[in-house]
Amino acid sequence: MTDGTHAHRRSPGARGAVGVVPLGNVGGVALRIVAANVQAVSGLATDVLEPRPLPPSAYLGDRRQYDASRIIAHMAGWSELNSHARIIGLVSVDLCVPILQFVFGEAQMGGRLALVSGARLRTNPDGSEVPLDRYYERLVKVALHELGHTLEIYHCDTPGCLMCFSPSVSHLDRSDIRLCSRCLFLFNRAVHALAHPKEKPL
Amino acid sequence: MTGRFKILVVDDELIVRESLVGWLKKGGYRVEAASRGQEGLERLEREDFDLIFLDIKMPDVSGMEVLKQVKERYPSTMVVMITAYGSVETAVEAMKLGANDYLMKPFEPEQLTLLVEKLQQHKRLIDENILLREQIATAVAERYQDIVGVSEPMQALFQLIEEVAAVDSPVLIRGETGTGKELVAKAIHARSPRRFGPFVPINCGAFTEGLLESELFGHEVGSFTGAAKAKKGRLEIAHGGTLFLDEIGEIPMKMQVDLLRVLEERRIHRVGGTREIPVDFRLISATHRNLTHEIERGHFRQDFYFRLNVIEIQVPPLRERREDIPVLAEHFLAKFRRETNKPVEGFDPEALDRLCAYDWPGNVRELENAVERAVVLAKARRLQRDDFGFLFRGGAPGEPHSLKEMERLHIQRVLSLCGGNISRAARLLEINRTTLHNKIKKYGLRVNG
Repeated sequence: MTDGTHAHRRSPGARGAVGVVPLGNVGGVALRIVAANVQAVSGLATDVLEPRPLPPSAYLGDRRQYDASRIIAHMAGWSELNSHARIIGLVSVDLCVPILQFVFGEAQMGGRLALVSGARLRTNPDGSEVPLDRYYERLVKVALHELGHTLEIYHCDTPGCLMCFSPSVSHLDRSDIRLCSRCLFLFNRAVHALAHPKEKPL
Repeated sequence: MTGRFKILVVDDELIVRESLVGWLKKGGYRVEAASRGQEGLERLEREDFDLIFLDIKMPDVSGMEVLKQVKERYPSTMVVMITAYGSVETAVEAMKLGANDYLMKPFEPEQLTLLVEKLQQHKRLIDENILLREQIATAVAERYQDIVGVSEPMQALFQLIEEVAAVDSPVLIRGETGTGKELVAKAIHARSPRRFGPFVPINCGAFTEGLLESELFGHEVGSFTGAAKAKKGRLEIAHGGTLFLDEIGEIPMKMQVDLLRVLEERRIHRVGGTREIPVDFRLISATHRNLTHEIERGHFRQDFYFRLNVIEIQVPPLRERREDIPVLAEHFLAKFRRETNKPVEGFDPEALDRLCAYDWPGNVRELENAVERAVVLAKARRLQRDDFGFLFRGGAPGEPHSLKEMERLHIQRVLSLCGGNISRAARLLEINRTTLHNKIKKYGLRVNG
């Protein structure tokens, strides 16, 4: 389970580069799948970290949603996780930002923190439920997309690229778990810089 | 295709502003924000924006009032009204006033994406149309000549060119407009081991992003509407020789990534193509901009800058090498005597004194233009002090001006009035920024920021 395709819980002191943190009630399988895929795609050691509660201040009563920016701001206070170069928060609640009716995820552009929600990934636009494997695939796509933003990769307009903006699950399903050559180039450079922080850039 | 598309967000609510700015930045757009209507108008006074997201309800100047002023003063700027208090009536009123669209907070993610893409496409078509018209209208004559200079800075520059020519590293040439950056690039190429290969120049500021991509990388048949034939890009044409990227500071962010990749991987794909094409060229780039400042502003990639700036060459302005002025003046006199077939033999000492006393804000190009003008209008066999009167305060009273000269003087005056702000000057002159940049280059004018 440690050969690059599966992430796992590590002992304190043996920190990976990426930490995946469940906030609130999140399924353990989803968590492990996200972590394993992040590790497999990026090649960065990825830890599954202990669950933490959702910040109540991020709840918007009038919209019945959580404000993703506020959760990210809350995550920025987790100083004990500073040894991880990137933190991906995973939630099962519905997320939004002030200007958008909903978001699948949110990230700090070129920062450390990303957030992913599975709330809208379980169903199709017609309301029908999708098989679990499709749900996990969507979750992984959103997690890698948001991780891409933390690596300072912008939205891409190459069809099928994981960094394309997906305003709906249909768009998300049309993306592959793959980056176009331009985004892959940037992704690999950034990952290399994370893995070898003292080296000169490629 | 987002690098040059500039967006201004005007909204008094901090969370809305930050949220919208953050979302747009992820799309690679250049975004600025203002928290008040008045502040938004002040931003517009200072710089050009392609699109404004404008909140209707604001405490000082309302969004509708800002919209009116924007449409009066900057009619080509697109405006999308946003509000949480929307109604059909307000929407209709805004559209009547010239708003391009209308959104109610919070937006559907898909609606926002489609809207921005649509407006960007609209802007691109307008820009390409203008550019194509200008390219047809103004065929600019290219001239090649050696660099002339006896001064110490120029001797040091020649020495540096010799040293730099021998190696194959990228070179970044910096210098004011009209100092002869392209001539330096040509001189490096001519003395380098690649001199038997092509020298391929491209002015990055003269193309829209889509055209620049196609110019640099080439395209395959059918890769976009109008691509009836496959075309080699300049990167491919420069194989074995030197690629000269002029005005590199104008290159969009995404294109910077593409070029960085080419520099590292030494291969390209044509637009719409899948075949890998190996390329081997030496890169020389030039800019009049301060690229480190552009990096700080987030408009230029630091890693790309490091790739370009392996060797830096600074071309000195003419006012810092005044001893070259008589030599250059004689050089241009000989050139224009041949071209015009006029028996002008030389300069009176007083005329040379006048030339040496002048600051030459447009550098060598301005001196060249001045000598050309004097030769064309000369009445005597030697050029007199008064033949260069136009250099000071727009010429002596009663002296006739050519239409070209009037244009040059007028543009210089408007640039001074606007404190060097290109956008404002372009608006006052009722021409677009690209045309103004071309004219500044043509006349060798100096832009004081």
